[in-house]
Amino acid sequence: MSRFFMNERETLVEQALEGLVEAHGGLVDVHTDPLFVTRQTPARGKVALLSGGGSGHEPLHTGFVGTGMLDAAVPGDVFASPTALQVRAAIQAVDTGEGALMVVKNYTGDVLNFSIAAELLSDTHRVEQVLVDDDLATQKEDEGGPGRRGTAAVVAVEKICGAAAEAGAPLDEVRDLGRDVVARSATLGVSFEACTNPMTGLRSFDLEPGEMEFGVGIHGERGIETRSTTDAAALVDSLVAPLMDTLGLRRGDTVLTIVNGLGATHGLELGVAARETRRVLDGAGIGVVRSLVGPYVTSLDMKGLSITLIAMTDDLVKFWDAPVRTPALAW
Amino acid sequence: MDMTIDGNGAALSGAAAKGWLLTFADRVVAGADELTELDREAGDGDFGWNISSALKRGREGLVGIEGEHPAEVFQTVSDAFLASGGTSGPLFGLWFGRLGAGPSASWGVSDLGAAFGTATGAVQRLGKAEVGHKTMVDAMAPASEALTGSSADTWSEAVSEAARAARAGADSTGGMIARRGRASYLGERAQDVLDPGAVAVAWFFASAEGV
Repeated sequence: MSRFFMNERETLVEQALEGLVEAHGGLVDVHTDPLFVTRQTPARGKVALLSGGGSGHEPLHTGFVGTGMLDAAVPGDVFASPTALQVRAAIQAVDTGEGALMVVKNYTGDVLNFSIAAELLSDTHRVEQVLVDDDLATQKEDEGGPGRRGTAAVVAVEKICGAAAEAGAPLDEVRDLGRDVVARSATLGVSFEACTNPMTGLRSFDLEPGEMEFGVGIHGERGIETRSTTDAAALVDSLVAPLMDTLGLRRGDTVLTIVNGLGATHGLELGVAARETRRVLDGAGIGVVRSLVGPYVTSLDMKGLSITLIAMTDDLVKFWDAPVRTPALAW
Repeated sequence: MDMTIDGNGAALSGAAAKGWLLTFADRVVAGADELTELDREAGDGDFGWNISSALKRGREGLVGIEGEHPAEVFQTVSDAFLASGGTSGPLFGLWFGRLGAGPSASWGVSDLGAAFGTATGAVQRLGKAEVGHKTMVDAMAPASEALTGSSADTWSEAVSEAARAARAGADSTGGMIARRGRASYLGERAQDVLDPGAVAVAWFFASAEGV
């Protein structure tokens, strides 16, 4: 008996999207055959912004479709890339002539299918891509390897590029802005309990009491190291210090923080994590100009969290503050 | 099957392309187990199933179109592949999709060379695979070169040359250590096994025989 709440495994993603429309019918529409989500009121005369990837990370990406953010999101099956056919259909649906920018998390299948869709439309559409690869845990020196994974920084890329596109910035400018945000971002995650496989109802890995998995991604895989659990203060120290180091942050710099729940972490716990993140950064003389705290890039029902730092400029803060109206993010 | 070839048969008509693709689809569906067996030895064993289910969809699509020119026929097969998961399916979708962007008329030998050159270049670029990596490219690249450099007068002679080149390319994967794809995890252990993607490409070119 599966502990994952659903009807049939085959209809899980599509039925969940029907529910998204049920909850936010004024904002989003779901298209089937092939499956993708668009704004209910299509935007015209601006660069189209798209993203997508495997399901199981909700509200990413479908929850970020709406004014000031995405024009379309293309969901694959749970933890599996959408097909190139879906991506191509979504681009054709939302590109109104100003070109389309695809925000793609760095996973082999996603990169392949989004790139193929763009290539097949190259005679008729201008399509550019921003690759998001913020996960420090997958930092490797080897040339030709898959590189770092894309995780929670993708929310900031979608928000900031979305604001620029809404303001009428041309395609190459929105693309360069997105790539700049990626270059300014780093993320590390930790898990206290693995996620449930919807097929088997089993956890994707086991931890003994008193253990946690450090450096996890968002697909239920193990991290880089199993460590002993600590209190929140020490844990956040161990997550934030490598991020500051990688980004080369100095006293007086400013950051946007994303304290992200991986699916089953309670708001109280994320509140403590946000407080501790602020404490560490304050101690280093780094200003926290904005914070996003909540479950935004999840890994099914994984218990754990990730912390993202993004080195900010005044312009980036303006784009971050610009109005947004989506199912998962609105101000 | 009645295959109408326009003019003197020098150029590939839509009807002939449709016949070629239907023969290929039948060949793959019948030989799916053979491809799966190669993939089981070198990869994860889903290749035969993936490609044959894509071509079953492609076959249904082909039956429903007129096949006015080869581009339309290739485009139909592309869409079937693009709906599949994994890596090989989308890459075949890309290959056929670039062929589907070819001229909207019958294809002469030089059209074939240009179209397959573009399509194979796209697969190499997005698949990040070169000749010698033990992938479908090991059959695609020599076949494209044979078409580009062909001095044949008719499309069927040119494709016969490409079929020989593709077969030799597929056979050459038997001595290769994989650099890309699932087989690269096994390295020397899978060295003697032919790459199923390259074998499927060889079957594709051979399927034009007798059309």
